Amino acid sequence: MSKKTITFKILRQDGPNQQSYWETFVIPYLPNSNVISCLMDIQKNPINSEGKKVRPVVWECNCLEEVCGTCTMVINGKTRQSCSALIDKLMQPITLQPLSKFPVVRDLAVDRSRMFEALKRVKAWVPMDGYHDLGPGDKILPDHQGVAYKLSECMTCGCCVEACPQYSRDNDFLGAAAISQARLFNMHPTGKLIANERLDSLMDDGGIAACGNAQNCVEVCPKSIPLTESIAEMGRQSSKRFWKTLFQI
Amino acid sequence: MNSHFFARRLHSLTGMVPVGIFLVYHLYLQLYLHQGAEKYNEQTNSFYDSPLAIWLLIIFVYIPLFYHSILGAKLSIEATPQPSYHYFAHLLYWLQRISGIGVLLFIFAHLYNTQVMPLMTDTYGQHFEHLAEGFASTETGWLTKSVYLLGILGATFHFANGINTFCMTWGLALTPRAQLRVRVLSIIVFVLLTAAGLYSLSAIW
Repeated sequence: MSKKTITFKILRQDGPNQQSYWETFVIPYLPNSNVISCLMDIQKNPINSEGKKVRPVVWECNCLEEVCGTCTMVINGKTRQSCSALIDKLMQPITLQPLSKFPVVRDLAVDRSRMFEALKRVKAWVPMDGYHDLGPGDKILPDHQGVAYKLSECMTCGCCVEACPQYSRDNDFLGAAAISQARLFNMHPTGKLIANERLDSLMDDGGIAACGNAQNCVEVCPKSIPLTESIAEMGRQSSKRFWKTLFQI
Repeated sequence: MNSHFFARRLHSLTGMVPVGIFLVYHLYLQLYLHQGAEKYNEQTNSFYDSPLAIWLLIIFVYIPLFYHSILGAKLSIEATPQPSYHYFAHLLYWLQRISGIGVLLFIFAHLYNTQVMPLMTDTYGQHFEHLAEGFASTETGWLTKSVYLLGILGATFHFANGINTFCMTWGLALTPRAQLRVRVLSIIVFVLLTAAGLYSLSAIW
């Protein structure tokens, strides 16, 4: 019988605005586990390394196949999805921390509503004025579709802003994800109608000008979205609008 | 567009156009160090002899330079360190900020050494002698030499890497391939400017 174990060091917090503390858990090794399956094991039997029964660790997850982004956390110092973090590929002890750029709800669960607010700020949608039949939409060419499909894979997981040195708890930067979504909807044939409104949001406080070009976002993006290309593209669109407004008004 | 956006775009523009061009011109002038004291002083003084010189300096160098550096220093302080992400562009991000602050300190020392002190001692115009004396001093020569070496390296790096961020900010280089081309260009600029600066210094080393 194998006596192999898996050791976790988890940064815990009992509730919002409370002091965080480290707790160690040692669980029996199972082949092919991922971080979530181990968290489930801890939940079944929440006993820490000192043998004390404690409150089970709270985390969020949903799809378990790296498409929803819910289970994003900081694993061994790097932001990633815990569903695709395979134990056999991780150094032990495995440290788990909540995302540092968002307020903690409990343990590893954070409140990412700032990212949703950012999507609202850049109007990351196609404007519609009713549910009546609008007829067929514009034709989209394959090369356009190739770019748009990649951008549409963004799951608002928060990896890009977690790794970003310009995005902090006390500023109002939109972050790479929202800038990239503004690009996606500015290239959509109907979304284009409010392209200037999106650019105005990007050119407002905490907009695209807050980017510092560290390019961590594109390195950590689990969906390999060309975020720096999106930022440069939106930089180009806002440059055009910048010169235009400068000489028009 | 709001004031923050305008301030950042102006920051990007001032770094590249007046300050960057001045850096290239300034490093070019230093090549005259190899032609001896008389020729070097003549070249340097011929610029200051113009009645417009001081105004040109204030409008096209000092104001853009200090605007760029004060806003840059503020932005550098506001950045949040992300020590667990070891990527090349991230390293350049921090080197850009560190070199910027370093070069600002160097500029103050440099201005004191080449402008304020000669004016106070009434020896203004003998640019070559000031530099050469500073380098030859047995006590502080090593310090002056290292400060100038770091100052030149910091300035050429900051300018060359600034070409990358400039092209990104204004959306001139879009795709990763285009950004790679700009990076190659910036490396060439860095090597050429550093070589020119170090070659000039070798005249009085």
